[in-house]
Amino acid sequence: MKRIAVLIASLVMVSACGGGSPSSSGPAADETAPAGKVVEVSFWHSFAAGANQDATNVLVQRFNDAHTGKIHVTPAFAGDYDTTFSKIKAAVQANQTPSIVQIYDVGTRFMIDSKQITPMQKFIDEDKYTTDLEPVIANYFSINGKLDSMPWNNSLPLLYINRDAFTAAGLDPNKPPATLDEIRADAQKLTKKDASGQTVQYGFGAAIYGWFLEQFAARADVLMCNNGNGRDKDATKILSDSPQLVKVMDWWKQMLADGLALNTGRPTGNMQTAFKAGRVAMTLESTGVLGGFISGSKFQVGAGPYPRSEASTAGGPIVGGAALWIMNNGHPAYEQRAAWEFVKFLEQPDSMAYWHIKTGYFPDTKKSQEDPTDVAFRQTRPQFDVALQQLHAETTDKATQGCVLGVMPQARQANEVAMEQILASGASSKTALSGAVTSIQPAIDQYNQAVGAT
Amino acid sequence: MRRQPLVGALSRATGRERYSARETATAAAFMAPSLLLFTVWIFYPLGRSVYLSLHGNDLFGRPARFVGGAQFQELFASPSLREAIVRTAAFTVLTVVPGLVLGTLIALALQAPIRGIGVFRTLLATPFAFSVATASVIFQIFFNPGVGVFNAILGLIHLHPVGWLTNPATALPSVALASVWLQLGYNVLVLSAGLQGIPAEIYEAARLDGARGLTMARRITLPMLTPTLFFLLVVSTVVAIQSFGQIHILTRGGPAGATTTLVYSLYLNAFAFGSTNYGLASAQALVLFAIVVVVTALQFGFLERRVFYR
Repeated sequence: MKRIAVLIASLVMVSACGGGSPSSSGPAADETAPAGKVVEVSFWHSFAAGANQDATNVLVQRFNDAHTGKIHVTPAFAGDYDTTFSKIKAAVQANQTPSIVQIYDVGTRFMIDSKQITPMQKFIDEDKYTTDLEPVIANYFSINGKLDSMPWNNSLPLLYINRDAFTAAGLDPNKPPATLDEIRADAQKLTKKDASGQTVQYGFGAAIYGWFLEQFAARADVLMCNNGNGRDKDATKILSDSPQLVKVMDWWKQMLADGLALNTGRPTGNMQTAFKAGRVAMTLESTGVLGGFISGSKFQVGAGPYPRSEASTAGGPIVGGAALWIMNNGHPAYEQRAAWEFVKFLEQPDSMAYWHIKTGYFPDTKKSQEDPTDVAFRQTRPQFDVALQQLHAETTDKATQGCVLGVMPQARQANEVAMEQILASGASSKTALSGAVTSIQPAIDQYNQAVGAT
Repeated sequence: MRRQPLVGALSRATGRERYSARETATAAAFMAPSLLLFTVWIFYPLGRSVYLSLHGNDLFGRPARFVGGAQFQELFASPSLREAIVRTAAFTVLTVVPGLVLGTLIALALQAPIRGIGVFRTLLATPFAFSVATASVIFQIFFNPGVGVFNAILGLIHLHPVGWLTNPATALPSVALASVWLQLGYNVLVLSAGLQGIPAEIYEAARLDGARGLTMARRITLPMLTPTLFFLLVVSTVVAIQSFGQIHILTRGGPAGATTTLVYSLYLNAFAFGSTNYGLASAQALVLFAIVVVVTALQFGFLERRVFYR
């Protein structure tokens, strides 16, 4: 009730000061904030205390300083990606959504279906704004060529290598393995045991993370869900049990069985620690951790493209990460405009370059990649160039666009259970991956039914 | 003053003369604050759970349509409920029994009349001061298969590394290990208080009768400690059945569901990975509630008669 009253009051005020002075960006009169009132914009993000949160706060501060007396953005950590996603659902129930929320890639379909957001494309069209986004990044978040959200923190997975270990094993650190077979061959040379037969250094290791499975599918140029990865029309089935993914999991299982790889379970932090400590010589991780790897390791960190399971080089990893969404319900038009101003600010070349340097996430726009500070930064850290080269080398088709599915977060979870069954319980790859497909089916059906009904 | 067993006291109260209106009013006034809190935090959520369990949910988890007993049907039809109950039972036994045995042994050792015993008492009670989250994060570092302390210790004595949390066979005992450590400080504290409460005269009398060492422990200390042990048994059983934090931080219910207890599977249905099946989760919550009630009633029914109240 109180919210509604406030809403009505603010609407009355908006119409009352319809003749107010238009601001520099020139929005329509009824979108102007009440005269003399600072527009409050709440912003939920998923960065826990650390480098990424610090960079977020600095950018927010810069924006607030530039908009004193007009717009004030208040950032709030809403928990990790999954938690934020759950929280936004609870917030919709309670009518307490923030103005802007950062939601991970796999939440895209749900956010659109929720009808709780104003499509980013509306603001882009109104302002005749050129996004200048790297096409492969825009690719994931665009449905039918339109952006519903603004990609913000985006990354690709890479193969990270311990260059010192490569040299010590007589391998060329400038030639990281490109295929699973090559990883296996190198891992045989990189795995070292001490006198008592204990393994002191494993050749390979990766967290049990469903994202990696999705990446292997895109890398092999196969779909992760039907109906063109949910791009042609709503997906009705996931395709985790494709022969390519069965092959990947068979390979991974054999690596563990032969003592060439280490399993540290699901938490990605465990494998990051093992890699930084030199216990694992090659690992799979996002470009987002590159900065942490370089500063946290005593050895030279190298990076190579995400490995492929097939001989063919078609396909490539999906640009993952998260995007910003502007919520509509309970947020007056002028507040949404203010939120859009903040989104535009984050996409500015200098903001994006700062973001890239501090976090390792991609400079999403072409102009930010040409920003002098970013160019200078990449000269000192060539590994970041590897990431960018992989981004530019991406082919764009439906497989590399990635699957959009309303219950994608749960589907990823089902895949992780299957990965655990294969890697930790010795289940057959085909059986476990097919099990993931069937176990998620009721959730997909229920979701599609619920969306179709509304 | 003889302390009455709880169940006995309740049943006997009904036979007493009626309270005057004034007495009832005073009692009600004293109970009002706790009743208010109970209503807000216990009774209302319980009623809400029943309501939610009878409804299906929309995209945001709002109760959208009345489905009657369909959630319970789905719950009882799936094999995962039985698996979760078995896992919860195993986890409870693995945490409660070692917690009580170790707690008693440590509390007994801490009675030793040596200099500086206060330091040891404080140290051994410190786990009580740790939050579940803090302790779990520290244990996660210990358990790390690559760089963890536990595997380093095994390596020193030339044993093969163990996949503590990554192997489905060892994951549940490993989480239980962390839980025992968490619970131990509280147990030691309560048991130490219980031991101190045993009057010296009883020991003296027993000694005059010729009792020594083990006889003393078996015939005097343990019986006199049973009220404390029974209290801890009931409380730590409920705590174990409801454990969430350590599972969430250490394993997220994995690997391959090996640590998905009843509470965790409830969480997976209601909140995890964008899931909003509050209906099914509420049905699970009610099943969990029933189990806790039955287990506690059984403990009172069967074990309490062996408790020696002075």
